[in-house]
Amino acid sequence: MPREIITIQVGQCGNQIGMEFWKQLCLEHGIGKDGLLEDFATQARPPIPSFPASLRFSVILHNCRPDSDLVDQFVQKGGDRKDVFFYQADDQHYIPRALLMDLEPRVINGIQNSEYRNLYNHENIFVSDHGGGAGNNWASGYHQGEQVVDDIMDMVDREADGSDSLEGFVLCHSIAGGTGSGMGSYLLETLNDRYSKKLVQTYSVFPNQMETSDVVVQPYNSLLTLKRLTLNADCVVVLDNTALNRIAVERLHLTNPTFAQTNSLVSTVMSASTTTLRYPGYMNNDLVGLLASLIPTPRCHFLMTGYTPLTVERQVNMIRKTTVLDVMRRLLQTKNIMVSSYARTKEASQAKYISILNIIQGDVDPTQVHESLQRIRERKLVNFIEWGPASIQVSGLMLANHTSIRHLFSKCLGQYEKLRKKQAFLDNYRKFPMFADNDLSEFDESREIIESLVDEYKACESPDYIKWGMEERLIIHQQGFICSDIETMDKRVRKKHHLHLTEYCNHDIRYEPFLCRVLVFSVIFFRHHV
Amino acid sequence: MDDPKTRDLVKELVLRLVSPVDSPSSVAEEAPRALGFAHRLLSSRMAPSLAPDELAIVESIKRHLAASGRSSDALAFADLHTELSARSSGPGAIRNRWALLYLLKSLSDARRREPLLHSTGTAGLPALPLDPQPSHQRPLAAKKILPPSGGVLLVSKDPENIREISLQKYADLVMDETEVSESALVRDILFVCQGINGRYVRFDKASDCYDLPESLKLPRSMRTMVRKLCELGWLFQKVRCYITESTSCFPAEEVGTVGQAFCSALQDELSDYYKLLAVLESHSSNPIPTPGSVSGVPGNYLTLRRLAVWLAEPMVKMRLMAVLVDGCRALRGGAMAGAIHGRAQHGDPLVQEFMGRLLRRVCSPLFEMVRSWVLEGELEDTFAEFFIQSQTVKAESLWQEGYQIQSAMLPSFISPALAQRILRTGKSINFLRVCCEDNGWADAAAKAAADVGTTTRRGGIVYGETHALEGLVIEAAKRIDRHLLDVIHRQYRFKDHCLAIKRYLLLGQGDFVQYLMDVVGPELSEPANTISSFQLAGLLETAIRASNSQYDDRDILDRLKVKMMDHGDGDRGWDVFSLEYDARVPLDTVFTASVMKKYLKIFNFLWKLKRVEHALIGVWKMMKPNSIISCIFTKEGVAVKTQFVSVLRRCQVLWNEMNHFVTNFQYYIMFEVLEVSWSQFSEEMNAAKDLDDLLAAHEKYLNSIVEKSLLGERSQGLIRILFVLFDLILRLRSHAERCFEHIFELQVRGGSKSRTKMMGAGPWFVGGRKAMMQLAGEFLGRMGEDLDKIAKEYSASLDDFISQLPIQHHVDLKFLLFRLDFTEYYSRLVPSK
Repeated sequence: MPREIITIQVGQCGNQIGMEFWKQLCLEHGIGKDGLLEDFATQARPPIPSFPASLRFSVILHNCRPDSDLVDQFVQKGGDRKDVFFYQADDQHYIPRALLMDLEPRVINGIQNSEYRNLYNHENIFVSDHGGGAGNNWASGYHQGEQVVDDIMDMVDREADGSDSLEGFVLCHSIAGGTGSGMGSYLLETLNDRYSKKLVQTYSVFPNQMETSDVVVQPYNSLLTLKRLTLNADCVVVLDNTALNRIAVERLHLTNPTFAQTNSLVSTVMSASTTTLRYPGYMNNDLVGLLASLIPTPRCHFLMTGYTPLTVERQVNMIRKTTVLDVMRRLLQTKNIMVSSYARTKEASQAKYISILNIIQGDVDPTQVHESLQRIRERKLVNFIEWGPASIQVSGLMLANHTSIRHLFSKCLGQYEKLRKKQAFLDNYRKFPMFADNDLSEFDESREIIESLVDEYKACESPDYIKWGMEERLIIHQQGFICSDIETMDKRVRKKHHLHLTEYCNHDIRYEPFLCRVLVFSVIFFRHHV
Repeated sequence: MDDPKTRDLVKELVLRLVSPVDSPSSVAEEAPRALGFAHRLLSSRMAPSLAPDELAIVESIKRHLAASGRSSDALAFADLHTELSARSSGPGAIRNRWALLYLLKSLSDARRREPLLHSTGTAGLPALPLDPQPSHQRPLAAKKILPPSGGVLLVSKDPENIREISLQKYADLVMDETEVSESALVRDILFVCQGINGRYVRFDKASDCYDLPESLKLPRSMRTMVRKLCELGWLFQKVRCYITESTSCFPAEEVGTVGQAFCSALQDELSDYYKLLAVLESHSSNPIPTPGSVSGVPGNYLTLRRLAVWLAEPMVKMRLMAVLVDGCRALRGGAMAGAIHGRAQHGDPLVQEFMGRLLRRVCSPLFEMVRSWVLEGELEDTFAEFFIQSQTVKAESLWQEGYQIQSAMLPSFISPALAQRILRTGKSINFLRVCCEDNGWADAAAKAAADVGTTTRRGGIVYGETHALEGLVIEAAKRIDRHLLDVIHRQYRFKDHCLAIKRYLLLGQGDFVQYLMDVVGPELSEPANTISSFQLAGLLETAIRASNSQYDDRDILDRLKVKMMDHGDGDRGWDVFSLEYDARVPLDTVFTASVMKKYLKIFNFLWKLKRVEHALIGVWKMMKPNSIISCIFTKEGVAVKTQFVSVLRRCQVLWNEMNHFVTNFQYYIMFEVLEVSWSQFSEEMNAAKDLDDLLAAHEKYLNSIVEKSLLGERSQGLIRILFVLFDLILRLRSHAERCFEHIFELQVRGGSKSRTKMMGAGPWFVGGRKAMMQLAGEFLGRMGEDLDKIAKEYSASLDDFISQLPIQHHVDLKFLLFRLDFTEYYSRLVPSK
C-alpha cells in the first residue's frame, strides 16, 4: 500500500515538464532509461564517486548507507520508495505511473523517440486522433476533452485499479495554452467527480509575462482554468514562467534560456516537493499529511514553489557551504522571498504567511533547526496571520503560505477585463458548446470566483478572518488561500557536478501585470565527496 | 738471644753457676732445666718498671757512694763512666750502658742485703726457684702457691699484680651474687628464642611471657637483659603458632592461597632465623672470658650483651611478623595483602625491604589471579580471595550483575579505577565467551600480552611493580574492549539494531507506521481484553509487507513483535498496544527488560500522537478543497448558507489550531527529541571505548527521549493535560465525521432534487424542501454549539498546557513552547484575557 500517486501530463507544456520530472525521479531512484534498476542502486553501498551527474541522488544514497552517521531530515534510513511513482511491470522494469495526453503528437512523439521511450507504458499515452491540437483555445481543449473522456478515463481507471491505495493525482499542465488548460480543466472536473475522495494536486505553469505572448487569448484561458483550479483541485503548485525565465537569465546567466533548461528547474522543484513521500521519515510521509498543514482553509490551496540553488548543468559552480540557519534566514529575506514587487508597498507589508514548510535536505545538524527558528522569530522576519497559530514547520521542505499571491489573481483578472472590454477574440470561444449562443456566463462565473478568491486571501491578512464572509450575501467562493511553498534544500555542492548555487531574488516587475510574488527558495548543499 | 754466640754464652754462664757446688750428676740433671729457665727469662719481655735513664742511674750510684762515705770511689766511678761514655762510638763499644749499670747496681744492692748468699760463693746470683710446674693454666692458684715475696726479680717488679688482685676480688664478688653463670643464661635464651623453655628461663603462662624465676639471684641488669631478649621468644612463638595453625588447616577456606603464601614467606623468614640461631648456639659453647683473663681466649664467645646485638635485627623482623600475624589473623585474600601493604609504608629501609620481600610472596597468587583474569577471563579463585567475584546469572545480565568488585578484598595498592578496569577486562572476555560466542578475544589478549612483554609470564608481575600491572591491564583492556566493541558492532550490528529500534519503536519508518495505523487502527478501538494479539501480529506482518520495511533485514524484522501492555478495565486497544523488539543475546545486555519497558512507553506515546495526527488528517480530507461540501447550498437560503459557512469556518479554524499543535508537537519530537538525542547518541556510540561507555551512552539517549517527550516523572502534570487535548481532538474527529456526513447527505439530496427521485424517505425530507432546510438549520446550529464547546474546552486545556510549559525544569520544553507559540499568537492572547 504505497499511497500511489498517478501523474497526468496534459498538453505540450505538461508533457515537457513531466518528462523532465521523470528523468529526475529516475536519477534519484537509480532507475535507468529503460526502466531497469541501475547497478549502483542495487548495491547496498554504492561507490559514490562513480555517479553520473545526479547530485541529489548521491546525497540520498549516501544517507541511506547503514553506517552513515548523517541525520537526514527527510531521507530516513528506510530507503527510497519507488512504488509511489513507479510500479514494476515484470520483475525488472519500473514503469512510471504516468499518463501522457496531448491533442497534437509533436511533443509525445519527441518523447517516444527519445532515449526514454521504453520507460513509459505505451498504453498510457493518449494522442488525439486528428492530431490538430487545441489551437491555444481553452474552449477547444475543453470540448475535445469532453469528447475523448471515455478513452482518457479508461486509462485513469486502469492505473487507479493497479494501485493498492491510491493517494491522488498530480496534473502537469500550463494554464495559458489550449490543451493543458482546456483539456486539463475538463479532466480536473471529471477527476473531482469520479475520485472525490482522492487528492488532486496540479503543477500549473503560469504564462510568461516578460515576452510578447504568442498566445493572445492567454487571459481568457488563464481565467477559465483558474476557476477549475480553485474549485476542483486540492492543491495548486504555481510554476511561474516569468520567474523561471528571470531566474535563468539573472541567476544562471543564460542569455537565452531554452525550454529544457527552465523545465529542468521545474523538475527539480517537483521532485524536491515529493521527496518526503519517496523517502519515508518520521513525518510527512503522504501527500495528504504534507498538504493538510499547509492548507488550513480549503480554498487557499495555491502553493508556490522554488528551489535554491537552482542549477543547470555545465554551469560554473559556486560552492557555498552553509548551515540551516543560513538557509532559513536567506529564505526569509525579502529579496529572497521573491515576493514580487508589483504589489504596492503598502499591500506588500500587509501580506502574511499562513504557513511555511521547509524541507531541508542533506547533512543537517538537527540542533541547528531550533536555532534558526529562533533567529527568525527574533528578527521578525516572518509576518504570520493573526487569526490563528501558525508556524514554520521544518521537516526539510519549507512551504510558506503567503497572502500576497492574491495579486497574481488580481492581475489575471485585470488582463481579462481589458480583453473582455474590447470583446476581443471571443469568437473563437463561441464556436464551442460551452459558449454557444454567445453565452459568456462561464467567463463571468469564473471571474466572480477568482474575485472572491482574491477577497478571501485579502481577508486572511486581517485578524478577523474568522468572521469574514458571514455578513456578505454571497459567500460560497470566498475562501482565499495563500500558499507559498518554499522548499529548501540543504546540501553541499559537489564541485565536479558544475552546480551553481543561486537563488531567486527580488525582481522588479512592477510593470508586469500578473505575477504575484514568487516564493520558493530551495537551497541545496551538496555534500562534498572527496 | 737468637744468635748462637749469645746462646752459648748463656749456656756457659748457667753451667758455671750450677756446676761447681753439686755433683756432676746433678749438674747433668739440672743444667738443661736451668738453661730453659734462663731462656724463658730472657725471652720474656718483662722489664723493670724504671725508665731506662742512664744519667739518672749514674747519679744515684754516685749519691749512694758518697752517702756511704766513699767519695773517692764516687769520683773514680765518675771518671770511669765518662771514659765508658767516650768510647761509646768506637769499635767494641758497649751499647746497653744503662742495662749494664742497672745490673751492676742491682747486684751490689743484693750483695749488701744478703750477705749469706754471698758467702755461698755462688757469684752473687739468687737461687732460682726451680719449680717444675709453673702453671699458666691456673694463674690464681699459682699466685697463691708462689710466695709473694719470693725474690723473683721480674714478678716482684710488676705493678699489675695489684690490678689483677682487685679484678680477682671483683670476680669473686660477682660470683657471689650470681647463682647462674652468664653462659648458662645465654644458652637458655637461645632455647627460648626457639620457643623452648630453658633451664632457668621459662614461659610464664600467667603473665604470658618468658621470665626468670624470682628466686634466682641475679644482678638486676642481667635480669632486664634476659627479659628483653626473651621477647623474641614470645614473638617467635606467636608467629610459629600462626604458621602451624594455617598450614594445618590449609586448603580450608579461611586461609586461602594468599594466606598460604603469607605463611610460606613467614616460614622462609623463620628458617633464616633458625640459621642464625644455629650459629649463635655454636658460639655459645665458647667460654666467656673472665675479666682478668689474658690473651689466648677465642673471640666468638657469647655474652648476654653480645647476644642482644646479634638478636637486634631478628627482633625487629620478628616484631613485624608478629604484628602482621596479629593484623591478618582474620583476613583473607586481597584484604590480607592490603593489610600487609598498609604496614609496608615505612621509613626504615630495613623494614621496607623486609616487607617488600614478604609482599612479593604474598601478592603473587593475587597477581596471578589478575593476570589470568585479564588475559584469559578465568577466575582462578577457589577460596574467594580475589577482589572480583562472580555470580551465576542469566546471560543477559552477565554484564550488569555477573561480576562484582568486593571492595573488602581490594588491596589498597590497586586503585579503584584500576580495579574497575581489571573487572571490565575480564568481564569483557567472559561476555565475549558466553554471550557472543566469540573466540577472537584470545588473539587480542595474546597481542596485548606480546605488547607488554615479559610481565605476562606466569608470576611475572610482582608486588611493587604496580606500573607493570597497570601497563598490562591497560593494554589488555584496550585490546579486549576494542575487540568487544568490534564484535558488538560488526558481528552483532549494534548500530543497525539501534536504528531498527529507532525506526520501528520510535516510528522513524514513516510508511510502515502509516500502514500499521491503517490496518491496526480499527482493531484498537475495541476493548483491550477482546483483542487478540495473534491477529495483531498478522496485521503487523501485513504492514511490514506493504511498506519499505519488507526490504529490511529479515533478522531485524523477525525481532519485531506485537506486545500488549498490562491493561485494566475499560482500556482500549490504543492504550495498551505496543511494539516490542527482541534484542536477544548479547544485545539484551544493552536492551534489558527495563530498557525495553521504557521503549514501550515511548512507543505508546508516539503511537498516540500519530493516532491523533491521523485523525486530524482524516478531518481535513473530509473538508478538503475540492470536496463536494465546499460547494454546498449555492442556491439555498441565505440563512442556512451563513450558518453553514460559519460552522465550517469555525471547524476549520479549530482544526487549524489543533493541527498546529499536533504538527508542531511532532516536529518537536522529531527534531528536538529524537534526532538530537540520536545524533548525540551516535556520536557517543562512536566515541565509546568500551561496553560500559556504550551502555551509558544508550542510557543517556533513552532517558533524554523519555524526559523530553514529557514521559518523565516531572512532567506528569503536563502529560495529563496533553492526553486531555488528544481526547478533545479525537472528539472533534468523531464530531466532524457526523457533521460532514449529514451535510454530505443533505447536499446530495439537495443536488439530486433536479434529478427528481429521492431514494428512501430520510429524516431530512419528510417535510419537503422547506422542512429540510429548517432541519438543516437546526442541525447546523447544534453542530455549531458542539463545536464551540469543544473549542472552549480545547483552548482552556491548551492555555493550561502552554502556561505550564515555561515552568518545567528542563530546557528542551522551552523549544516546544517556542514552536507552539512561534508567531506569539498565544502570548498575544494571554494579556488580552
